[in-house]
Amino acid sequence: MRNNLWNILKKELRELFRDKKSLAMMLIIPIFIPLIMIGMSALFEMQTNRDIEEYNKIGFAYELSEEEKEIAKQMNIEIVNGSEEDLRQKYDNAEIDLYITKDGNKYIINSDGSDNSSYAKNMMESYFNTYKQYLQGEYLAENNIDSNQVFNIITVEENVFEQENFFGNYIKNYAFLFIIMAITVSATYPATDTTAGEKERGTLETLLTFPIKSKDIIVGKFLAVSISSIVTGIISFILAIVALLLAQNMFSIYEGTDIMFSASSMIFGIVVIIAYSFFISGLCISIASTSKTFKEAQSALTPLTFISFFPSFIVFMVGLQTTPILSIIPFLNFTMIFTDIAAGNINLLNIALMAISTIIYITLIFTYIIKQYKTEKVLFSK
Amino acid sequence: MIKVENLKKKFVKYKNKKEKEEFYADNGITFEAKEGEIIGILGPNGAGKTTLLRMIAGILEPTEGTVSFDGLNYKENEIEIKQNIAYLSGNTKLYDTLSTYELLKMCADIYGVPSEKIDKRIQELSKILNMDSFLYNKISNLSTGQTQRVNIARCLVHDPKYYILDEATTGLDIISSQIILDFIKQEKQRGKVILYSTHYMEEAENICDKVIMINKGIVINSGTPQKIKQDTNTTNLRDSFFAMIGGVSNEE
Repeated sequence: MRNNLWNILKKELRELFRDKKSLAMMLIIPIFIPLIMIGMSALFEMQTNRDIEEYNKIGFAYELSEEEKEIAKQMNIEIVNGSEEDLRQKYDNAEIDLYITKDGNKYIINSDGSDNSSYAKNMMESYFNTYKQYLQGEYLAENNIDSNQVFNIITVEENVFEQENFFGNYIKNYAFLFIIMAITVSATYPATDTTAGEKERGTLETLLTFPIKSKDIIVGKFLAVSISSIVTGIISFILAIVALLLAQNMFSIYEGTDIMFSASSMIFGIVVIIAYSFFISGLCISIASTSKTFKEAQSALTPLTFISFFPSFIVFMVGLQTTPILSIIPFLNFTMIFTDIAAGNINLLNIALMAISTIIYITLIFTYIIKQYKTEKVLFSK
Repeated sequence: MIKVENLKKKFVKYKNKKEKEEFYADNGITFEAKEGEIIGILGPNGAGKTTLLRMIAGILEPTEGTVSFDGLNYKENEIEIKQNIAYLSGNTKLYDTLSTYELLKMCADIYGVPSEKIDKRIQELSKILNMDSFLYNKISNLSTGQTQRVNIARCLVHDPKYYILDEATTGLDIISSQIILDFIKQEKQRGKVILYSTHYMEEAENICDKVIMINKGIVINSGTPQKIKQDTNTTNLRDSFFAMIGGVSNEE
């Protein structure tokens, strides 16, 4: 009799793992996470490369020397020759990104100053610096002066501090959003099936005739749904790590930076995933328990997928900083703490507050569901 | 002994979207069931039979009144009472994804049958109820008759003292119904207390020691089938029932 909680858990897990839909939710959804991450990385890279390729069409209203052509070639500049009027027309038709006119030794960069032409303008400034340096070198050589002595009077070196990779952080944070969604979807189906589904199939009445306390029935169901969510969460997290490893080697946008989670980040990341799985499983069971049918429970749980996603999305958009107060606000806290952990900022106080508040929320949810199971509402609400 | 005293159950139903109305599904039902007795709970659909048996089985909480099993009540001894009850109804369904063996093992575990005795008990029941051919088959693959046999086995696995059977033969063919009726008679011989609800009056007349006739949640007559027939000067329980309600069905 003392093992009745274990008996219920065993029964629920057996049903869960034998149900194709539950298995699909649990195991197939995580597969999409690395695909999305690799896809997003490819998209970022494509966007970055497109900048270089897309804004390199430059009009020249004069004939270029061989040296100028060589510099343009090295800088991947596509030369478009023509008269000033022709080039202006081409610029207006967006056939070129800007055009250069020449008045003696004065070169004029013609553009409307829009964002589209700013990359081309920067590129041309660099082009003219190189060309100017070439002409200066030629002049000095003609006057028998070592150009290196002149150019290297002072030397300037750039010391770039090691910094977080923008795309790396972006992709890691989005990976967590997808993990949250996968966990939520994974909790929804078994929670519906073990409560409203069991009621609809008529097996709940059988279960309630057994010498089992309502508390054991609820905890057994809750643990089964939580295990399903945790399995999804951990598989998703592992696949996200694999995707990061692949992305690091596949895409140049991550070059020179380490986008991988540290060992401690992985451990605390799993803690957040487990806490969220418990929280969402309790919430799903409490909502599904009050529904009369499987369909009604599914309709009631659908908004939860959006509710779980949007606070996290807002956190990224607004760029909120984690505080102890925010660490106890459900949904928001999981994302904020995971974002900190992914960036290597492990704040034990915030993590503890998240864990404690989650335990309190689950206890409150439990009290409510156990009360529900003690009344006939749960069985005979039809 | 099962003692039911002044049992009442109030429900609320909606007359329309705004107005609701309270009504008693059972209103002050009292009776006793002793060892070796089969008590028939008779009445048309909507009479309050299922609600009454659900209250006795501890699935529903009564609005008023008490149910006791050899002096024990649900408030203080819910688990002990349920350990000795077998509840079988047309509404109690089985877990489709489990095999017959897995289901019986789960029930035995839950009812606290010692683990070393479980296999032997399942094999015994399999022989008695002729389940050998589908013991390891999934319940979803069984016929209605086979499923009902598994349901009976589920009730027998812990050798309970009290049986609460709610329209257990409804919708079954003659062979499956007979299996249940034979099982009830056999358990009576073993001194078990059996509450048996049905709206098949002939069936009740054949197997019940006493009958409680309910209509609209109220006991309209009770006693042996012979006594009820004498009271109403009729030759069968069906006619007795119509004689008592004035020949009009109360089915809503």
